[in-house]
Amino acid sequence: MYRYDEFDHAFVAERVEQFRDQVQRRLSGELAEDAFKPLRLMNGVYLQLHAYMLRIAIPYGTLSSRQLRMLAHIARTYDRGYGHFTTRQNLQFNWPKLSDMPDVLADLATVEMHAMQTSGNCIRNVTADHFAGAAADEIADPRPYAEILRQWSSVHPEFSFLPRKFKIAVTGAERDRAAIQVHDIGLHLKKNDKGEIGFAVYVGGGQGRTPMIAKLIRDFLPEQDLLSYTTAIMRVYNLHGRRDNKYKARIKILVHETGAEELARQVEVEFAALKDTELKLPEKDVEAIAAYFAPPALPERSEGWENLARWKKADPDFARWVQQNVQPHKNPDYGMVTISLKPIGGIPGDASDGQMDAIADLAEEYAFDEIRVSHEQNLILPHVALADLEAVYRGLVAINLAEANAGLITDIIACPGLDYCALANARSIPLAQEISRRFGNAERQAEIGELKIKISGCINACGHHHVGHIGLLGVEKKGAELYQITLGGSGDEHTSIGEIIGRGFEPDRVTDAIETIVDTYLGLRLDHSENFLAAYRRVGPQPFKTALYGSAAEAA
Amino acid sequence: MVDKVLTANRLTDGIAVWLDANGEWSTSLQEALVARHNEAVAALEAIGKKSYADNEVVDVTVIEVQETNGILWPLRLRERIRAQGPTMEYAPGYAPADPEFIAV
Amino acid sequence: MTKIWRETGFVENDPWVIETDEVKATEEQKPLLGLDELIAKAEESNDIGLGVLIKPADDVRKLEPYLYRLEIVAVAFPAFNDGRAFSHASLLRQRLGYTNELRAIGDVLIDQVPLMLRVGIDSFSVSNATALKRLAENRLPAIPHHYQPAVRDADAGKGYSWRRQAKPAA
Repeated sequence: MYRYDEFDHAFVAERVEQFRDQVQRRLSGELAEDAFKPLRLMNGVYLQLHAYMLRIAIPYGTLSSRQLRMLAHIARTYDRGYGHFTTRQNLQFNWPKLSDMPDVLADLATVEMHAMQTSGNCIRNVTADHFAGAAADEIADPRPYAEILRQWSSVHPEFSFLPRKFKIAVTGAERDRAAIQVHDIGLHLKKNDKGEIGFAVYVGGGQGRTPMIAKLIRDFLPEQDLLSYTTAIMRVYNLHGRRDNKYKARIKILVHETGAEELARQVEVEFAALKDTELKLPEKDVEAIAAYFAPPALPERSEGWENLARWKKADPDFARWVQQNVQPHKNPDYGMVTISLKPIGGIPGDASDGQMDAIADLAEEYAFDEIRVSHEQNLILPHVALADLEAVYRGLVAINLAEANAGLITDIIACPGLDYCALANARSIPLAQEISRRFGNAERQAEIGELKIKISGCINACGHHHVGHIGLLGVEKKGAELYQITLGGSGDEHTSIGEIIGRGFEPDRVTDAIETIVDTYLGLRLDHSENFLAAYRRVGPQPFKTALYGSAAEAA
Repeated sequence: MVDKVLTANRLTDGIAVWLDANGEWSTSLQEALVARHNEAVAALEAIGKKSYADNEVVDVTVIEVQETNGILWPLRLRERIRAQGPTMEYAPGYAPADPEFIAV
Repeated sequence: MTKIWRETGFVENDPWVIETDEVKATEEQKPLLGLDELIAKAEESNDIGLGVLIKPADDVRKLEPYLYRLEIVAVAFPAFNDGRAFSHASLLRQRLGYTNELRAIGDVLIDQVPLMLRVGIDSFSVSNATALKRLAENRLPAIPHHYQPAVRDADAGKGYSWRRQAKPAA
């Protein structure tokens, strides 16, 4: 993974001092809140219902064990002993003091981490496929480009006060595990006929109030033009994105109102002027960055095949965990492990300091020191020898994170919701917990198969409900919580926005509604191999509407 | 007029606070000074403005409560959660919100 | 109180003024014209030494034929978080090759001054008390390591082509 050089260390140290000065001026009163707020947001500090919230950047979701241990230390020392992994591969702490922030940031800097630009109207964490560099189906590793974009977008003088936040995602396989089509810029790394590396460029995807699927504006952008083309897009957005209405300020609205073709033309005009400037990426720089992401030297561990078979036969729970939570690696002696942070009845995406330390130990001993955060709020050990799977599993059992539910119905994504968030209208977490408990039986989950439930506590859609196979949106109605159900959303390479199927459900009726939806699916699927999403796309919403609302039902 | 109290978040640590009868910011909603008339509400708002300008608190607002048998109960679910904390077990050593208090 | 600041210090006797219904340029002052006004004036006269005020929604490229007749371009920040003027400044300097005075006016705060300098703004109309104080003390909250090229000339940064290092203060 990327390692800071002297320049990076110096920059972060300067930034920490800059923020320390800003905090000090705020606490002394020299800096008023309205001037301080965008500055603290640029350092990832939010104010929530109960306390401040600090969002720490985990660049494209990649962590070393040393870094994870520091996150555990921060949780323990400055917070309430836990952290929450987010749908943008970051980590949130819910109880830090403003007065402690500069020290927290200084601690983070010692392990090459920071909280810069995880908030505010600037370019945010560039996310990438959480299986990058390991997946058997990968064409090229997206992380070097995510790292180049991360650097280039740090304290960019022209793009620090955009109309609104800006999110970029990069994927390097045909299967899109980074949900690029619901990002402001989505980059699909590919090779052309000559074998040259480049990007398909998508612009204007997003969720929130007006979910939209990104438009392809460039079929093949050569690698060397990445920064100049991105600059062109950002400049057009900075100048023309709406600033009159916060809910219409994302680039997706600009694309929608201008038209994708016209917007692409404007970008090309700007790009033409930037193409041959100092923004061109030299091959040697790309290679130098890519070198940091070279896969670890993976020793031959062919004994794993036999051992694995033996262990699976001896322990059905272990077998189930391997089946569900271990994915094929480029190297056949290895697997990619998903550590589900969704124990049955637990808080999705949360990990205690003890759990973080234990995972760091496992990563160090068995996983070449590398951990990833997925946008589905799970952790990944991308390189684990099959021969070490049993030991890793036992280690996870000991910390209650061995649930074999990756991608299954209890692998729920939920935003913090009204339990924490000042923007929320309804709670997400208790609902996730209840659904998880109701469907917790392992056999039943396996029977149901892949089913992604995503829960958002408000229209901002941080729970990504629009791209949930089943999406739940919490709203407030007459002072009480109500949940709208959407079906058929997906964030993969065939992105679709979920459709609202009818009247909302009170909190104590939602889980039954989910059961009805699941039972309906089980009743109409062709066979076990037709998962929920495929079945929905085949039959449409009507069977589900009828099951939920009766045969005479119309959508509310 | 619905009863009201003044709430904010402390600048230094962001913790939710309510203005008490001594004019201090308390971490307990139950200590809050209740304003039952328009003049009292105006007075609360003035105190809130000053406290904000004095950099003691941020996000100052007046919220509606109902007093029953001496217990203050915010009318909005959001404010009940703010008063009690997250509504589930979230960390060892910290009690979740009282479900009866939270309930609509 | 509003003062004009440049890296050489506060400027006395600045002639530029934005005219309103109440305020008009005196004998010693010169008006900053709106973009359309400026274009009209430039078309109908041979005047040079003109000044123009670019608002966030203006298309700054329209100035191209008139640049050599401009003594100053002011770019407006009506709210400090309206970042369009950062792009105006970048385009003026890099695309149009404008070399005269480029001034930030409006909600100019100390924390944004280093970014404004990097996009080629070289004078600042400042009213904010903290900003005035910090500028008087020459205490700008700048970070000398840059991750991207910008208008302002900087040394190459170590490691990769996109990095820059602020030149040491003269």
